[in-house]
Amino acid sequence: MKTMTPRFQVGDRVTVRDATTMFHTRTQGFTRGQTGTVVEHRPAWIVPEDEAFGIMENGRYTPFYVVRFKQTDLWPDYTGFEVDTLETECSEMWLEPAGKGKK
Amino acid sequence: MATTSTQYDQLQRQASNLSPADRLPLDSPYEISNELYDALRKVLHDVGGQPDTPVPFTEKGEEDWEMNTYLTCECLGWRGVWNSEERRRRENDLGATQYFGLPYYARWITVAAKALVDRGLITTDELGQKIDEVRTRLERKRS
Repeated sequence: MKTMTPRFQVGDRVTVRDATTMFHTRTQGFTRGQTGTVVEHRPAWIVPEDEAFGIMENGRYTPFYVVRFKQTDLWPDYTGFEVDTLETECSEMWLEPAGKGKK
Repeated sequence: MATTSTQYDQLQRQASNLSPADRLPLDSPYEISNELYDALRKVLHDVGGQPDTPVPFTEKGEEDWEMNTYLTCECLGWRGVWNSEERRRRENDLGATQYFGLPYYARWITVAAKALVDRGLITTDELGQKIDEVRTRLERKRS
């Protein structure tokens, strides 16, 4: 396992980039352009988009984060409780400080 | 498997029976919009937020071929041939018809075979011969 200095800290507000992906990604469509909070650091691992093409130990590594979103932010017609949240894992290249990119 | 034109018609009809009756036929058009290109590129397993109907819950035990497929794929990972992310990418690359048409582990074994062929570890004729050999053995056992 590689140790990397993560760009974001637990508690940081981050926005998932709404970027073009070619061929494969693990970043779910429903998180694109959404803003959430970093709640956990995950071990650094190969960039998933590289790993999908057979790149393994010698590939580019990236920090991973668990990001927590408010369900009412993700789904405009959400009918559950206001406090409901959803957590998902994002690699660093998909995140930018909240408020930076176009929303 | 030999494919006569009658069989080909049957195969095509079977596949087209899976498509909605009212649809936009695509036959390698000269031009498409950027929006359609985005839609066609969509990663198939990314279904979060997609409308769907309830699916009945059924208890289904794994069959031998399913567990064998799982173990084969894990061993290929253990021996450094591929990884599970590549498997998922290859499953998506099957395209919607095969992705949703094949049983779960049939998707796995199909893309495992393609990965081995891509890496030159087996050839398609070796694979075909083995399939024929197994088919003959099983047919003999049944008769």
